[in-house]
Amino acid sequence: MATDPVRRAELRVKFAEFAADRTPELRAELIEAHVGLAEYLARRFGNRGEPLDDLIQVASIGLLKAVDRFDPERAVEFSTYATHTIVGELKRHFRDKGWAVRAPRRMQELYLRIGKIISTASQEMGRSPTVAEIAKEAEVTEEEVLEALEAGQAYRFASLDAPAGSGGDESGDTVGSQMGSADSGLVDAERRATMDPLLATLPAREQSILRLRFYEDLTQSEIADRLGISQMHVSRLLSRSLAKLRTEASAGELPA
Amino acid sequence: MSERDTAPAAEAGPNGSDRPEVHLSVPATPEFVRLARVTATGLAGRAGFSIDEVEDLRLAIDELCFSLIGAKGRGGRLVLRYRLEGRELEVQGMLEGGGEVTPRISEWSHQILEALVDEHEVGWSPEADGSNRGFRMLKRAE
Repeated sequence: MATDPVRRAELRVKFAEFAADRTPELRAELIEAHVGLAEYLARRFGNRGEPLDDLIQVASIGLLKAVDRFDPERAVEFSTYATHTIVGELKRHFRDKGWAVRAPRRMQELYLRIGKIISTASQEMGRSPTVAEIAKEAEVTEEEVLEALEAGQAYRFASLDAPAGSGGDESGDTVGSQMGSADSGLVDAERRATMDPLLATLPAREQSILRLRFYEDLTQSEIADRLGISQMHVSRLLSRSLAKLRTEASAGELPA
Repeated sequence: MSERDTAPAAEAGPNGSDRPEVHLSVPATPEFVRLARVTATGLAGRAGFSIDEVEDLRLAIDELCFSLIGAKGRGGRLVLRYRLEGRELEVQGMLEGGGEVTPRISEWSHQILEALVDEHEVGWSPEADGSNRGFRMLKRAE
């Protein structure tokens, strides 16, 4: 990463040149100059069960794209622009792979089996089954049930959405304008005043799940029923939304 | 455990196993929040929590732990104390060795925690002089 101002100025000139004549040599040089950034960001996404080498490769692809697409006319540092592109690439990588690569196959199967048990049991009993009941039905221990549920949550976006201080990216994630129709519910105006602006940053489906859970006080199983998806899916979306909102909320506050 | 469906309530057990208390001390970084969750859900399973309740607990532990360690973690250790009594699980969390931290959560997090657990207090202190602030929460199985 070019941190000294002289080097940065040099690179700026080179980007301008590259924008004009797009020679492969210049391209290679610009990429080379920022490999450190790609590696740094890849490392930030380590510890998630993916080999670091793979992540570096994914990050490098992001870097290539950034170099090719960067417009030096815009009033933004390349490193800021590239961070955004590279992180985007890394996130997509995790999203595409989901948890499948990390949870052992046995756990995946158990997780799916448990999902079925939960929905059948909920319907039969009219309430959410206990861990013990699920374990009995699945013929595994309670610990295995919990382990499988945890594995199913394996992809957590908490810090994925708060990558290395990428700060001030002008391209900004498009803040969803789809606020959804304001539904009634039990919630008071005060609560809504706090929550609504944050909710608006989430995809529509996640918004409605949060509303049902926290405005209307439905349980996860009830939400699953209403939306025609599994309780597990509700659970995954909920933890994802909360992780995102946590980051949003803390970003809006003073540094701790 | 599997021979009974109900919670191992107030029966006397050897070594306090009727009222298990678990202490966990991990580095105060995000990757260890998972252990905090797993420990909580493990105990909740013993207390006869339903799956919905277990999932709520999981979300609550995330909110609370991150209120202490921040999104990126910090130095020192996250120390958690879990106490199971009948169908009630109490969790206390604090930081050790990372300097004085005032845990804070957003209004939004408060609202969420209100829906997820029966009691919660961020900024709670185990000490009489109010030092060493952390959090405390309690959740009951229905």
